[in-house]
Amino acid sequence: MVVDGLAPGRVERPATAEELAEILRAADQAGEAVVPVGGGRALGLGDVPERFDVALETRGLCRVLERSQADLTVSVEAGITIEELNAELAEIGQFLPIDPFNAPGHTIGGVLATGLSGPLRLRYGSPRDFVIGLRVALPDGRLATSGGRVVKNVSGYDLNKLHQGALGALGVIVAASFKVFPRPHHEVTLETRHEDPWAEAARALALAMPPVALEATSDGRVLARLAGTADGVGRIAGELGWTEVGAEAWEEHARRAGEAWARISVPPGRLRSVVDGLPAGATWWASPGVGIAHWTGELEAGAVRAAREAAEDAGGSLVLLSAPPELKREVGAWGTAPATATWMSRLRDAFDPQRTISPGRYVI
Amino acid sequence: MALPRGVIGDLERIVGSRHVIHDPHDLRIFERDGSISGALPDAVVLPADRDEVAGVVRLAARHAIPVVPRGTGTGLSGGAITLRGGIALQLSRMRRIVEIDPVARTAVVEPGVVNADLQQAAARLGLFYAPDPSSQKACTIGGNAAENSGGPHCLYYGVTTNHVIGLEVVFADGSVAWLGGDAPDRVGLDLLGVLVGSEGTLGTITRIKVRLLPVPESIVTLMAAFPTIETASHAVSDVIGHGIVPAALEMMDQVTIGAVEAHYRAGYPTDAGAVLLVEVDGLQESTGELSGAIERILRANEATNLRTAADAAERELLWAGRKGAIGALGRIRPNYYLHDGVVPRTRLPDILRRVGEIGEHYRLPVANVFHAGDGNLHPNILFDLRDEGVLTQVEEAGEEMLRAVVELGGTLSGEHGIGIEKNAFMPWIYGPDDLDAMLRVKHVLDPGGMLNPGKIFPDPEREPRLVARAGFCAEARWW
Repeated sequence: MVVDGLAPGRVERPATAEELAEILRAADQAGEAVVPVGGGRALGLGDVPERFDVALETRGLCRVLERSQADLTVSVEAGITIEELNAELAEIGQFLPIDPFNAPGHTIGGVLATGLSGPLRLRYGSPRDFVIGLRVALPDGRLATSGGRVVKNVSGYDLNKLHQGALGALGVIVAASFKVFPRPHHEVTLETRHEDPWAEAARALALAMPPVALEATSDGRVLARLAGTADGVGRIAGELGWTEVGAEAWEEHARRAGEAWARISVPPGRLRSVVDGLPAGATWWASPGVGIAHWTGELEAGAVRAAREAAEDAGGSLVLLSAPPELKREVGAWGTAPATATWMSRLRDAFDPQRTISPGRYVI
Repeated sequence: MALPRGVIGDLERIVGSRHVIHDPHDLRIFERDGSISGALPDAVVLPADRDEVAGVVRLAARHAIPVVPRGTGTGLSGGAITLRGGIALQLSRMRRIVEIDPVARTAVVEPGVVNADLQQAAARLGLFYAPDPSSQKACTIGGNAAENSGGPHCLYYGVTTNHVIGLEVVFADGSVAWLGGDAPDRVGLDLLGVLVGSEGTLGTITRIKVRLLPVPESIVTLMAAFPTIETASHAVSDVIGHGIVPAALEMMDQVTIGAVEAHYRAGYPTDAGAVLLVEVDGLQESTGELSGAIERILRANEATNLRTAADAAERELLWAGRKGAIGALGRIRPNYYLHDGVVPRTRLPDILRRVGEIGEHYRLPVANVFHAGDGNLHPNILFDLRDEGVLTQVEEAGEEMLRAVVELGGTLSGEHGIGIEKNAFMPWIYGPDDLDAMLRVKHVLDPGGMLNPGKIFPDPEREPRLVARAGFCAEARWW
């Protein structure tokens, strides 16, 4: 539970949303700094916290609140892991396409708060596209709900969006409702090795039915997942002509991470040029259709600055997902602050005026 | 309110005197939208570009004048109504498709671009824009983004918020910013996600960047008749329960079928209790297999008259009937009123029974034509405004229907917005703490409360009852 070398004064493990909200309120009142912790898979994200008094562990909130097969919706508490939830959904032929790296063990709350995503984003989008409701504990102890449990909803502001990727800046996610997806009728995983993985990836993306996931790696490997009806998948697999491999390739891929690793997010058309600019021999893996690449290894400050400049010039960003505190202090986790940072800070003031939650970690 | 002295002159200096309307007769044109409410603006301003919008907003902020953005006024929840007077920011001059990038599959448009015009431009490049409100021949992309509009094909493809990747926004203080962009995972809070669907209450949208999709290789459209609305509802649940999410899954009841068939001759069986329109798209191989599976499921649910559109023309005819249904309902009564509550789709039989009972209780005909796959209702309450006191009955019936929706675990609006029609009902689905969280966002982004005031949140200054006026006509109404 150590974050950037800082250990908390104490660990709290609430069993209910109400308990969690009360702990948060009491800490806020006492002027203590709280870092929410889910599965602990993304504690390296963000800048070095200014203070760390209370680790607020959410794993005790691990119930499935409602699951409805024909409605294709599920509501869960934030501390359930993606694997636990998907095991439940598998019983009824459904799944939630959230597959962040550094798996397994991410909690739902953690993956929403950090905004991490994985290969399936190519087809399904990020959770932003299929979260239909959130319940959030605010630093003043209130529990606020946005959205609902129906798949289509324009009632009031879509605060679901505001909390995702916000690293708890406005509150701690305690429950979430999702639109879920039926398991594809048929799936195959294909692989190729090529001296120009980007070209092979581009060919796959241009197919009449593009892969649901497509990953290229620095060792020249390209991995594709096709999903659909058996005949359709068969035809596309034939057109692609790669080698079929077992689906466990994805589990292995999802375990990728690093002591130090960075995420590059740019418009898909710019990804190759930014990745090509990384230091020679860099280890990376990329979703060419999404515009995201992860870079790991001995990240050196000068190289990080150069890659970040390239990413930002391309209209994107480079974020440190984990790095030694010294490196974070030197180059910063987030890069150039967004043009609307003033509005964002004012929003934070309205929800967390004392910066109780993870002070110093988020970009605002 | 009356505008402070000199404001008209100032507005004319910003946009040119030809583009400021303040004659009381002319203002009446801008009194209404697609809802049954109305209020007169004090001035209508037609800016040419973002800088003029920003100039008008700054001027309005200085004088504390309400500003209400407006597209083509097709909204059904009163979003474009100048409830407290002030300035209607009519964005119809900003109707350029700025660029379409066929490689990145994105388009940048000004807010006044009509949805169907963007569709046409995209189609020339083998692309399409997924959100397809039934009013798409008239409604604008700016309005769609402000209301987070839906449409039949949102079942599979998602609603507007899933397709808008960037917005240029003029904030309440007149400052301008781009939110979002082509890159995934923008650093910082997702203001883009909050602006979409905020109904003009947090900022004025001056440009929209949207994602386009490649036109699928194959599209199959099926029509099936059912003896009752219940059997059709069960068929809907059964299709989804089998793990099939079609591109669209729409239902029309007998009242609607009769009106539509008389008008469009699309070949809907008028003796059916309900008709489902189902569309699947994708690879040739997939649509064949999926439509076969869907046919079997529909037949197992007592479907008759199964018909597959033989070609694009027949498909368009089937869809013309569906999308033009509301206009066709004018044959039954001249006026209509509808809500668009959403229930979990398994509750469709329950809610449709309740809707029928409520209609009978108030002796008002109700025509259901809706996005069944999403559980997104559209019970059209049909009436004639000339009937004494009918509007109160209509409003009460609508309120009861929405109440039933909420009681079944549903929500107030799936795609039309809250506006001034349902804001009084927001406490049905959100507690004080939930609304307070939303209001914090409102107070940060619009501290003066001048952007589209009186919308979304319960309005202490106004009776919850809808304010109705005579002279309302149902012709050429959309949703």
